[in-house]
Amino acid sequence: MLTLDHPLDEGRLDVVFAALANSTRRAILARLAQGEATVNELAEPFAMTLPAISKHIKVLERAGLIQRSRHAQFRPCRFDPGPLADVAGWAEQYRPIWEERFDRLSDHLQLIQPTSEGTES
Amino acid sequence: MTVSESVTLERILDAPVDLVWRMWTEAEHFAAWYGPTGATVPVVEMDVRVGGRRHFCMQMQTPDGDRKVWFVGEYRVVDPPTLLRYTESMSDSDGNLVSPEAMGMPLDHPEVTEVTVELDDFDGRTRIVMTHAGVPADSPGATGWNMALDKLEAHLAA
Repeated sequence: MLTLDHPLDEGRLDVVFAALANSTRRAILARLAQGEATVNELAEPFAMTLPAISKHIKVLERAGLIQRSRHAQFRPCRFDPGPLADVAGWAEQYRPIWEERFDRLSDHLQLIQPTSEGTES
Repeated sequence: MTVSESVTLERILDAPVDLVWRMWTEAEHFAAWYGPTGATVPVVEMDVRVGGRRHFCMQMQTPDGDRKVWFVGEYRVVDPPTLLRYTESMSDSDGNLVSPEAMGMPLDHPEVTEVTVELDDFDGRTRIVMTHAGVPADSPGATGWNMALDKLEAHLAA
């Protein structure tokens, strides 16, 4: 619990959190979670200029939350949930800590119980 | 897509349920297994009843000398010998909360987490299911980030 073996990359987390700290960008991700879309399609529900939407998309792209096809004519955007798995990492980092704890709990139980099972195996 | 805000572990322990319950609720037993290898767990307070306080310390030797980290929390559900739920936060030696960030934890780490321990008889042995979760938005320590993520997740799932 004190020292985590694989601390998350704080710089990367900063970028992901900054990208998520905007309702327009979250709405864009929500739209993309239903399937890929072009910038024009993404801009439709917003009262915003295309360049303004493009700016938001670039922020999401830099955070790794959006992948854009290099070759297709309209370069559709695709949602990449990978970085979200990273930011959800605090809980997963406890897994090995608890695994180790349960090992010790198991050992401790063995230690304090009169050994009837010691003769079985 | 799953935005996991909790971790769950399940094990079969070679001991009856009553005994496993005592491992969690009696200070001397808890101290014997809970801490990381090489650490001692001096328990200050373990008032195992709903609303009762838990306050303990993990003390470990590091190359820079002894390091102590304090934790404080409250029992939320005490239903012997099968269900125990308590909160946990990093604190100082007096039990005042300190932010996880100040303790070097990742910035998305919730200030208050909650541990739920479920014990079931499994043929004379014990099936234990432990869930460690961040306490959601209504807690005083919930961060804006967690709320934002929860909202996003709900949004994406809609």
